[in-house]
Amino acid sequence: MRIQFPLWRAVLIGGASLSIVAGCAVGPGYGYGGDVGYVGGYYEPSGYDYGGWGGRYRVGPPRGVGHEGGHDSRAGHPAGGGHPMGGGRSAPSIPGRPRR
Amino acid sequence: MKILLDGHRRGASRGAAALLGVLGCLTVLAGGASAAPPLQLPAIADSATMEHHPGKIVWADLVTPDLETAERFYGGLFGWTFQDIRAGDSEYAIATVGGHPVAGIFKKAIPAGEHRQPAWLTFIAVRDVEQARREALSHGAKSLAPPKTYAGRGGQAVFTDPQGAVFAALASSSGDGSDYLAGPGEWIWSSLLTDDPSGSAAFYKAVFGYEVFDLPSDDGAQHVILAADDYARAGIHTLPPGHRHPHWINFVRVADASRSAAQAASLGGRILVEPHADRHGGQVAVVADPMGAPIGLMEWSDQYTQDEAELK
Repeated sequence: MRIQFPLWRAVLIGGASLSIVAGCAVGPGYGYGGDVGYVGGYYEPSGYDYGGWGGRYRVGPPRGVGHEGGHDSRAGHPAGGGHPMGGGRSAPSIPGRPRR
Repeated sequence: MKILLDGHRRGASRGAAALLGVLGCLTVLAGGASAAPPLQLPAIADSATMEHHPGKIVWADLVTPDLETAERFYGGLFGWTFQDIRAGDSEYAIATVGGHPVAGIFKKAIPAGEHRQPAWLTFIAVRDVEQARREALSHGAKSLAPPKTYAGRGGQAVFTDPQGAVFAALASSSGDGSDYLAGPGEWIWSSLLTDDPSGSAAFYKAVFGYEVFDLPSDDGAQHVILAADDYARAGIHTLPPGHRHPHWINFVRVADASRSAAQAASLGGRILVEPHADRHGGQVAVVADPMGAPIGLMEWSDQYTQDEAELK
């Protein structure tokens, strides 16, 4: 028995498959870079608005002696204020050793 | 034009033809992908210490539609120099300062008609990127890109945390670099601005093993420190009013935040947050590069931290 299968059907099915595969490579809402072979490039979905940082809104790390928190690092720990959730010692600061 | 197929059953033949179509397309797709040479990325550490510091912020990549403008801006602002890496249609540049690799810039066009925001992607060190992926997903993260290994650099994957902030995990094949005080032009700090600091802290603690510290606050916002290896690694802060969505922002150490912010503006960027004093005693500011990607500027007097390092 001999049957005929139109080329357009194969193309249609193949195209749908490509769409599915391509759709899997893109994260929802993000312009993700996986399609060009690099895992790391992305665009945020919308613009930033940096209003609202009041003068007391502080994002930096704590530091030790003489600054906020008042804990003296010379007591054995570089404290910069704060406490672990549940109590205990103070928050550490960033590394201070200069590059050699 | 028609394809002629022989077979005993019409349905089976149709199925076989459909399967051939799918396989053919997948073959074309795979062939196209394999035709492009793999991107070769250098190690993130300039000397292979093989030290591992899970939870440390070890790298940042910028995605931008204009690589040349980005290089001109960041080179002028921080003194970064660049090594361009090309593979097929991919264009990537490694930024160095003082001979040390510090960041990557990846060129990618913004799709026509789409409103998107260039951004810096924050990479957090892990020992095993697959395990980090499992932990992240089991604690509510979503995968933006599955783990992929690059010769020289290591394995990396990209996620959104449960609040929606984008971050990456990196298992560096050369180690994470030693802990030292960042020099001028190097990353010194990273902050996550989010609408649920406690929830975010719980997530990052579960995935990366951080110690979590609450900081005193008088601004009505919650401020949390993530620590590892007895060092502060990052901060989590309540998203200020008017911010649209949670995100990470990374800070580069500068000698004078006011002067650097003005310089950023003269190089085609703009000032998003005016320089102001922060809790550590130095000034911080946030600027946007000419394509709109935000980046932080932070002063840091190293006298106290050097004293502390000697006492450690």
